[in-house]
Amino acid sequence: MSNPPPPMSSTPAEPQDPSSPRRNSKRPKYSRFTQQELPACKPILTPRWVISVFLLVTIVFVPIGLASLFASRDVVEIVNRYDDQCAPSGSRSDKVRFIQSAADKTCNRTLTVPKHMKQPIYVYYQLDNFYQNHRRYVKSRSDQQLRNKNDENETNTCKPEDTTENGTTIVPCGLVAWSMFNDTFSFSTNKNVQLPITKKGISWKSDRDHKFGKDVFPKNFQNGKLIGGAHLNESIPLSAQEDLIVWMRTAALPTFRKLYGKIEVDLQAGDTINVIMQNNYNTYSFNGKKKLVLSTASWLGGKNNFIGIAYLAVGGLCFVLAMIFTIIYLVKPRRLGDPTYLSWNRSPGGH
Amino acid sequence: MTSNRPSLPTPGSTGSDLSSSTSSNNSDNNQIPNLHSLQNSSSQLSIKSNSWRASVNFGSKGVSVADSEGFSISRREINEDDARLVYVNDPLKTNETFEFCGNSIRTGKYSVFTFLPRNLFEQFHRVAYMYFLIIAILNQLPQLAVFGRGASILPLASVLFVTAVKDAYEDWRRHKADKIENNRLSSVLVNDQFQHKRSKDIQVGEIVKVSADETIPCDIVVLCTSDPTGVAYVQTINLDGESNLKTRYAKQETLSRVPGKDVISGLIKCEKPNRNIYGFQANMEVDGKRVSLGPSNIILRGCVIKNTDWAVGVAVYAGRETKAMLNNSGAPSKRSRLETHMNREIILLSFFLVTLCIIVSACAGFWLRRHQDELDIMPFYRRKDYSKEQVENYNYYGLGMEIFFSFLMSVIVFQIMIPISLYISMELVRVGQAYFMIRDDKMFDAASNTRFQCRALNINEDLGQIKYVFSDKTGTLTENKMEFQFASISGVDYSGEKIEFYGEQGGYNIQVDGQVWRPKMKVQVDSKLLKLSKTRNDTKSSKEIYDFFLALAACNTIVPIVVNTSNPNEKLIDYQGESPDEQALVYAAAAYGFMLIERTSGHIVIDIQGERQRFNVLGMHEFDSDRKRMSVILGYPDSTVKVFVKGADTTMFKVIDESLNLSVVKSTENHLHSYSSIGLRTLVVGMRALSIAEFDTWQTSYEIASTALMGRAGLLRKVAVNIENNLSLLGASAIEDRLQKGVPEAIESLRKAGIKVWVLTGDKQETAISIGYSSKLLTSKMMQIIINNNSKMSCKKSLEDALVTSRKLINVTRASEDDASSVALIIDGTSLVYILDSELEEQLFELASKCAVVLCCRVAPLQKAGIVALIKNRTDDMTLAIGDGANDVSMIQMADVGVGISGQEGRQAVMASDFAMGQFRFLVPLMLVHGHWNYQRMAYMILYNFYRNALFVFILFWYVLYTGFTLTTSITEWSSVLYSVIYTAIPTIVVGILDKDLSRKSLMTYPQLYGSGQRKESYNAKLFWVTMVDTLWQSVVVFFIPLLAFWESDIDSSSLGDLWTLAVVFIVNIHLAMDVIRWTWISHASIWGSIIATCICVIIIDAIPALPGYWAIFNLASSGLFWICLLGILIASMIPRFIVKMFMQHCKPCDRQIAREAEKFQNAMEITRNGEIEMNLPHR
Repeated sequence: MSNPPPPMSSTPAEPQDPSSPRRNSKRPKYSRFTQQELPACKPILTPRWVISVFLLVTIVFVPIGLASLFASRDVVEIVNRYDDQCAPSGSRSDKVRFIQSAADKTCNRTLTVPKHMKQPIYVYYQLDNFYQNHRRYVKSRSDQQLRNKNDENETNTCKPEDTTENGTTIVPCGLVAWSMFNDTFSFSTNKNVQLPITKKGISWKSDRDHKFGKDVFPKNFQNGKLIGGAHLNESIPLSAQEDLIVWMRTAALPTFRKLYGKIEVDLQAGDTINVIMQNNYNTYSFNGKKKLVLSTASWLGGKNNFIGIAYLAVGGLCFVLAMIFTIIYLVKPRRLGDPTYLSWNRSPGGH
Repeated sequence: MTSNRPSLPTPGSTGSDLSSSTSSNNSDNNQIPNLHSLQNSSSQLSIKSNSWRASVNFGSKGVSVADSEGFSISRREINEDDARLVYVNDPLKTNETFEFCGNSIRTGKYSVFTFLPRNLFEQFHRVAYMYFLIIAILNQLPQLAVFGRGASILPLASVLFVTAVKDAYEDWRRHKADKIENNRLSSVLVNDQFQHKRSKDIQVGEIVKVSADETIPCDIVVLCTSDPTGVAYVQTINLDGESNLKTRYAKQETLSRVPGKDVISGLIKCEKPNRNIYGFQANMEVDGKRVSLGPSNIILRGCVIKNTDWAVGVAVYAGRETKAMLNNSGAPSKRSRLETHMNREIILLSFFLVTLCIIVSACAGFWLRRHQDELDIMPFYRRKDYSKEQVENYNYYGLGMEIFFSFLMSVIVFQIMIPISLYISMELVRVGQAYFMIRDDKMFDAASNTRFQCRALNINEDLGQIKYVFSDKTGTLTENKMEFQFASISGVDYSGEKIEFYGEQGGYNIQVDGQVWRPKMKVQVDSKLLKLSKTRNDTKSSKEIYDFFLALAACNTIVPIVVNTSNPNEKLIDYQGESPDEQALVYAAAAYGFMLIERTSGHIVIDIQGERQRFNVLGMHEFDSDRKRMSVILGYPDSTVKVFVKGADTTMFKVIDESLNLSVVKSTENHLHSYSSIGLRTLVVGMRALSIAEFDTWQTSYEIASTALMGRAGLLRKVAVNIENNLSLLGASAIEDRLQKGVPEAIESLRKAGIKVWVLTGDKQETAISIGYSSKLLTSKMMQIIINNNSKMSCKKSLEDALVTSRKLINVTRASEDDASSVALIIDGTSLVYILDSELEEQLFELASKCAVVLCCRVAPLQKAGIVALIKNRTDDMTLAIGDGANDVSMIQMADVGVGISGQEGRQAVMASDFAMGQFRFLVPLMLVHGHWNYQRMAYMILYNFYRNALFVFILFWYVLYTGFTLTTSITEWSSVLYSVIYTAIPTIVVGILDKDLSRKSLMTYPQLYGSGQRKESYNAKLFWVTMVDTLWQSVVVFFIPLLAFWESDIDSSSLGDLWTLAVVFIVNIHLAMDVIRWTWISHASIWGSIIATCICVIIIDAIPALPGYWAIFNLASSGLFWICLLGILIASMIPRFIVKMFMQHCKPCDRQIAREAEKFQNAMEITRNGEIEMNLPHR
């Protein structure tokens, strides 16, 4: 860090002009700031620096990449797509008709645990091709209404799901709440032991405490001509409707998972799990997929090798670059700041 | 040629302005208005200067047009319709027919009620604001409401608010100044008695009395003064910045009537108010006589009366119709080259924008079509609204409309692709740069106590790209402080030894009432000539010497002013006048014993060798640029009459009767030649005795001419030409004009920097060449091509010859690899008349571009502009013109950058210029240091702003592809609004103002570094595309790393949006940090401060429960993946950039890079030699 030399006293003694002593000099007041001579550090990336930077990145990135990969490998994940299996085979319109009918939609699935799964095991449902980030959709909600009983009528952002046919407000209003996921799952082991699912605490605490009102109760919900999804118990305040709270945190991407509950027992490798589900939710009308996911979690979250691979790639690349630059510097060294490299010194007279 | 340099059609009447100017608010806010007026100037158009330019052509015709009636208002005659009638001392009658405006002034633009509408109206004149407004309005349509009301209006509102506050503050200050000005008391004649009246109550037609050192409240025609001859001295420093005293005269007919005692009445017919402060035309009817009035009879508002006890005048223009107020407008604005290029790239960016919008809307259309059947009940679309009786479509207007709406919506979402805020940032940066240029103490001229002035604020960065410098000579390269050197009197050259008069008896002095009077300036005298001038006998030579010095003392417009000194017995005579040459001549005459001690409009008193003589000044023909001479008709005490003429040799020899003494003429010509060849300015003096008959004829025609209503100027010129002939030659004088300090070094630096310096001067060829040598512009190794022709054909021939020679020479030098010998072109004004505006221009251009130096001598003001235009129209190179006088105004306005020297010759050049400074040598720090910095900073800032905004838009765009093309932004609307306002705005401005790629020292040591600006190294199309590719890569990294890392997870859109927000702000700021070269605490504070501010803003936004993203950032920050993503994004996005940068730095280092390294390691290297410290020691 080199500070510039102290400002030269370059201001020559001002010539005394006897004829104009009354004129005050307009000479700008000297300050390092106005003369643009503030102390400054002027970092220059020397070869040594460049190579060190690359090596440093390698040293940091490779271990993180490895750690991420290991973490991801340790995560045990069971994914089961059930939308096609739990509906009558046939054309899409058949499926749509089935899902819209009053028929019994119970469906049994069997999952095999590939590896030992440590509790807590997270149960997710995954929807594909469901644009929870669609502009019409994300806007169609009223956060005021969810939070405050007095703001019950704040529904003008909720269209087309703001009021019932006779004009009474819907709580919670809007497409987001209306389309709430309503498949249910219950799990049992092959020994017919029920696996309890905890549904408490699956939503964010901040949402329960501040975003969803303790005195706001569902009203006129799902009373319209078109049923979008789940019904809500009108005697439970919104702040306790954790499925709703989870659903209302709209997903970022068209393929997303949402937490359904937690299984708080370990599952052994080879265990088979019977799932009894109610296949109520209509994704057939828009070609969506539904999956059931059981997954353990690592410090990095779920199973995803991408970040580990990316880190290893960047770390490796930087190592290669460090080598390349070392070679360049060795093969073609250049003395830093050597004035002979200046263009007018290299080719005399050639501008 | 004399100092009465051809005065240009004053652009005062066209484009000039008096920067900060009325008397009152000038004094207290000297620095601030400078900056402020600069800020505003960008919005003003340069209509005036353009229209002026358009009407000019530069060849021979142009010159004649310039001098003829068309241009100068003062020469035009008053039409009955255009006249204003002022009844002296009868304001009621004066104001009865025409409602002339009162004397209250309002420089304030707004009142309390008009502020809001007017200010808004003015602000929306800018394209940038209109763009913001249109986008904001679009967003208000319910179908298009992408952002909430608040978020969409905030950026516009904040900019409007800041500007409005600034305008309001400025206006408040103006109102305050106006109030002081309007309430100042002045003495006005009411009912034949002078009473105090507030300035604002003065009416046209009233008689105003002004005492010494008082400021004139309105434009008044002088009626009488305390001086019995009716002279009043005024200082016009508030008006045009000239500090010397000027004389104003009361007319003979009125000067004896003192209002209050005598009744005075009359009618003044004068021209309509106009902004020409150097012209006034009127006539006055007093007692049935018609008297003409000119510029010397009017005192303008803002002037100060000096050396005169009082002056009485009648108000003719008041309030906002005064010339001072009419001149109170902004400087002409130019647009910088960089900005022009930038606009080209902005058009490209808008193509990008449209492309993105078309992609989005087309995809949206396809998506909707494909899902046409599913839309009705699709949970995330739900086209049907079931809440009504009738099930109908909700917010769906058919496929076509939906595509159209999504196009408009994408324009709203991607609006910042076009970096409109860049225009505002650029303005701020330029203000900051101007601040530093003004404050630079290396550009402060102690001698004239002037700071650097930044008058135009739009072209700071142009200073870093100049290829051609056109310089005036007198007053620009030289000091314009004239010193009398040699004289040639009737063929005898007196250029012998000099006696220093300092210290001895103190030079020539005279005794007046027991007091010693001596001239203020001492002059070196020739001892032989001094002796000769003191002997008074009737020999021919001593008579000639007598006449010569009498001519010097009398034939001028100098006013002697007696100044008290500390010694009560000693007084100094200060010769005040507008021309430094005349001053020098009068001082010289005084030193030889011909001391001018009194001048009134009717007579002069000259002390000749201790004997006081009074001469009547019967008439005076002032200098004009056609005749290039002036003459005075003197009535001797013995009632003989003689005409004395002095002027430039070319015109003088035409009117000298050579038959009288051919040998004298010949030897004088030789002397003149030798004087001018050592760089002296020469003048020739002639004389003729007039017979009574001749005098009578002259007098009648002179009187007719000077009271003429039509074509007075032309008539007077004719009268002058008639009398100025058959003169006998008295002699010639040589005046030295010293080269300014540091000029040779400055020219050397400029030349090393690859800048071609052309000198355009009105001086003679020999003078110009000798100045060329002494300023190191010309060297003995150069081959000189001189073009000096009198016809078009000969011009053509010599141009062709010269081209051949220069080609040959250049081939030779190329072969010998020796750049020392080069070609210098010297061309004179007469040849230029034939070349400019004809097909020969092309050849001249070709020749000139081969020459290292071009000297143009004897050029008329408009030819100067013509030469600048020659280069400007044919090349893409930037031109800079520097000059100090009125004759340089045209070229200053023509060049890309105009620099005025605020020196001796008035302020017209400064008023027309973009930058003004005290000395020529400041051009070096101005261009090489500040220009370089400004260019680098601004170029970087533009590219960076393109990158910054495009990056954000690309990230939004990628996300749109994952939302069914519906323009959802996961980044909260507040973050997208604050992105360019808070998150990333300040660092780029700070870096644009403060970063320095190289130190002042390196830039001055290696002027060649300036070449980077000339070669457009820091901003060009290639860099733009590289930046855009880099932007694309970075946007891919920022978007897709989180996308893939959180694929198939339960991440919610607010959390992911926060991650993208933070990532993009981090890398945008880190990107900047990587390019910052000098890290001062301010840059640290702004860059890291912005990152911290962003984090705080994101936290605040996420702490509002009413927003969907409530608490997202806290949940996100508790997950490890977030931090890992962030780190990965930062590194991965920067890698390509870093590699390219490092590779270029090492393998293809640019000069700036090497100089930067040298700057840093020079010390280290020296230490290495002495001690054992390693050279490349990491400095951190």
